[in-house]
Amino acid sequence: MAIRTEPFVINVGPQHPSTHGVFRMRVTLDGEVIVDMEPVLGYLHRGIEKLAEGRTYTQNIPFTDRLDYLASMTNNLAYAMAVEKLAGIAVPERAEYLRVIMSELQRIASHLVGVGSFLNDCGAFMTPFLYMFREREKILDLFEMVCGQRLTYNYIRIGGVSYDIPEEFLPALDKFVREMPGFIDEYDQLLAENEILLARAKGVGILPKELAINTSASGPVLRASGVKWDIRKADPYSVYDRFEFDIPTGSTGDCYDRYRLRIQEMRQSVRIIKQAAEQLPQGEVLTRVPLRLRPPAGEAYGHIEGPKGELGFYLVSDNSVTPYRFHVRAPTLINLTALRDMMIGWKVADAVIIFGSIDICLGEVDR
Amino acid sequence: MEVDDIAKQYVYSDTELDSAEGEAIESLKAQSQQPIPDSDKWLSEELRKNILVTSVDVVVNWARRSSLWPVNFGLACCAFEMIATAASRFDIARFGMEIFRASPRQADLMIVAGTVTWKMAPQLKRIYDQMPEPKWVLAMGACAISGGIFTGSYSVVPGVSCIVPVDVYVPGCPPRPEALLYGIRMLHNKIAKNSFITEST
Amino acid sequence: MVGFNPDHGLFSYGLGALPPDWPGNYWLHWGLFVIIIIVFVLAMVMAFIYFERRGLGRLQVRLGPNRVGPFGILQPVADAIKILLKEDIVPAKGDKLVHWWAPVVAFAPALMIFAVIPFENGALLADLNIGILYIVAVSSVSVVGVFMAAWSCNNKFSLIGAMRTVAQIVSYEIPLGFSIIGVALIAGSLSMNEIVTSQNIPFILLQPLGFLIYFISACAEMNRTPFDLMEAESEIVDGYHIEYSGMKFAMFYLAEYVEALAISAIITTLFLSGWKGPLLPPFLWFLIKVVLIFFAIVWVRGTIPRIRVDQLMAFAWKCLLPLALINLFITGIEVIVLPQPLPWLIVFLNLAIMAILVLLWSKFFKLGGGRVEV
Repeated sequence: MAIRTEPFVINVGPQHPSTHGVFRMRVTLDGEVIVDMEPVLGYLHRGIEKLAEGRTYTQNIPFTDRLDYLASMTNNLAYAMAVEKLAGIAVPERAEYLRVIMSELQRIASHLVGVGSFLNDCGAFMTPFLYMFREREKILDLFEMVCGQRLTYNYIRIGGVSYDIPEEFLPALDKFVREMPGFIDEYDQLLAENEILLARAKGVGILPKELAINTSASGPVLRASGVKWDIRKADPYSVYDRFEFDIPTGSTGDCYDRYRLRIQEMRQSVRIIKQAAEQLPQGEVLTRVPLRLRPPAGEAYGHIEGPKGELGFYLVSDNSVTPYRFHVRAPTLINLTALRDMMIGWKVADAVIIFGSIDICLGEVDR
Repeated sequence: MEVDDIAKQYVYSDTELDSAEGEAIESLKAQSQQPIPDSDKWLSEELRKNILVTSVDVVVNWARRSSLWPVNFGLACCAFEMIATAASRFDIARFGMEIFRASPRQADLMIVAGTVTWKMAPQLKRIYDQMPEPKWVLAMGACAISGGIFTGSYSVVPGVSCIVPVDVYVPGCPPRPEALLYGIRMLHNKIAKNSFITEST
Repeated sequence: MVGFNPDHGLFSYGLGALPPDWPGNYWLHWGLFVIIIIVFVLAMVMAFIYFERRGLGRLQVRLGPNRVGPFGILQPVADAIKILLKEDIVPAKGDKLVHWWAPVVAFAPALMIFAVIPFENGALLADLNIGILYIVAVSSVSVVGVFMAAWSCNNKFSLIGAMRTVAQIVSYEIPLGFSIIGVALIAGSLSMNEIVTSQNIPFILLQPLGFLIYFISACAEMNRTPFDLMEAESEIVDGYHIEYSGMKFAMFYLAEYVEALAISAIITTLFLSGWKGPLLPPFLWFLIKVVLIFFAIVWVRGTIPRIRVDQLMAFAWKCLLPLALINLFITGIEVIVLPQPLPWLIVFLNLAIMAILVLLWSKFFKLGGGRVEV
């Protein structure tokens, strides 16, 4: 005799006990099994794209900070590259190297938060999360030394970077680069072979290779599914073609792979920083650019490999001081397209883990 | 496939739910055009002369400010500075506040950290209403105080004081953890001036 | 029913006797012990809340509460006073009577366990000769309180949380019971005082597998990490006490710590030879051992991630239960074949058996669930 059951709909969010921000999912459950899922976005939609059309190009840089607020440096960089392409501005060498150092430091900081939140969602009650925050504080100290801010930097400007580094920066960076691999090994050992973590994350939320490519996923989500695609190698920007680094890829595309991939990417970032700090040339750091920049009419697309995926800015100019169209290609919004297919068939407790392993940032998803 | 059949039978139509949500948002927006004025009766001289702060008050206020439990309400960038305050370096647990309750029924303090949009506003009001008395609200960051860098946008609430009464404002974009701790100390001072006996009247 | 004294009237019939050297009548003994137990439990619970927050802080590389009173020791007091003075919210559509009774039903059994815990030789409220059975029976009642709490909240989420919790508690009671029987076999009695007096070798050495199973099942009974899906803060359900505020919530909050104290006290009595020890007074030894076990519980909480509900059930039924049965079987054989009191040889034998069994099981039993084909 089959028991009659009835699927029911629950709401996950928008106020989360975890750190993911205001994201809501309507999940249809049949007992404990997820049968359907619908994401509801827009709880943090602030109208950045429209507001940006009323401000000059330089005034828009703080807006880009607040898109993916965990990776502000890389946001600034993508925007600055788009404007420089549009207006044909050259960037001095020293500024390029400084941009690379800041981007890689930012990548490490963002992955620390991503991995920490993921482990927190798995239930390891804040302990790995707090350990990773300890490291992140060191990186934020470095950033504060350079530009005075801890979270939204407004450091990378059109034509270079805003300030040169102070004297105490390079020794501090050196110390950080020497200690960080030890800490990364510690995080690796902390929970990598833990039976409970393996049971909860291995084989869960698999994103097959074709689906990843078809839904335009990018960043760690794409690479964990086995596709070796990184914009730093595929379409090198800034001075990335002068450094030696590997692109780690995963094999199955489950949550465990994404988690391990982020840890390995942190190692590669440390490698890049070491090389960039050694090769840092002297010179000036900012090309003089008029305050109310008036680029020629046209369009440009500047993209980079951000910590969460391919971040791109599409700018259209009509020869006035404000952009005519300011569009952001947000990697996390596009990565979310595959969320429904990743979740169906798993249980309620897995929903949060799968969602956490994509590592989204609501500021970018909703803009 | 079987999944789609089950889904079609039992899921409510999205348009119904969405339009109900939209109506709630519009009505809240219409009600919240004026900011709720800050309560300053705790400053007024006459009241202070009339209240005898008894030893009961001293103990009760000490207990309330020594174990303020915040409810998780991190919305945007300021949320990460709030989390950093709760992390090992700045450690809000020293003040007894490390228990971030997930359920608003057991919390005292709502730290609104981040931009509040009109879509999120009904949820914010609901969570505020669900908190039991006595409760306090701390507006953290420029966006919660006045809309911040996004003032004038069609979807941003110009300051959370349009929706809930705020006790402490902590400016910054985002405010440093030290600034947030200073704001919390200000809130402790404010709670110390409460009177348990007269407030229930 | 040792030493039935007809002078004490109907009320003391069947409750066991007072120790023979006790002056005064039965009610004085009862009153004194009730006061001792309540003071002990409340003081230790406050201390445990403090230890846990400081201990978790140290594990997570931070300080815990240290501003409220010297070294932060007044923190639990401040928490208690604050919670008492909060507004009490009752859901409008819920069942009000059930809502009122649920915290009582969840809290009272935890307190009742202390009636049979020996603080010193013969110093317990009631020396029942079925001590352990009483404990297992009473602690099962708190499950009803959990379900009452969830039902009265009229909330989908708390119902889901409560069903998971009830399933979890009921499943883990079985390995718990079996590991206790092993101890009872060796001691030859169910009375808690006799179990302590018969421990020439602490039973943790004679029953290492039993200790392990009891510890894990007890963590599950108390809804502590790694089994705290009920309070899972990073999952969608906050559990059955989602709608409680004020004093009723305080009772649930305290009940968790009273249960932790009760479990630590039971483990001390059953496995660590209770109040026995050289030099220091027995009561102090008892306290030290209880605090030690509690630290172990806090340590586990700060370290291990949470497991999923189906993995939790699989773990109880497929892993702990067979191990408990095998443990019982082997203990039975040992008790029959070898002379009483058991020789030290058994310690090594049992440790070896435990090592082999645990290795064997971890080879063949994997926690992974698997995707459901929909």
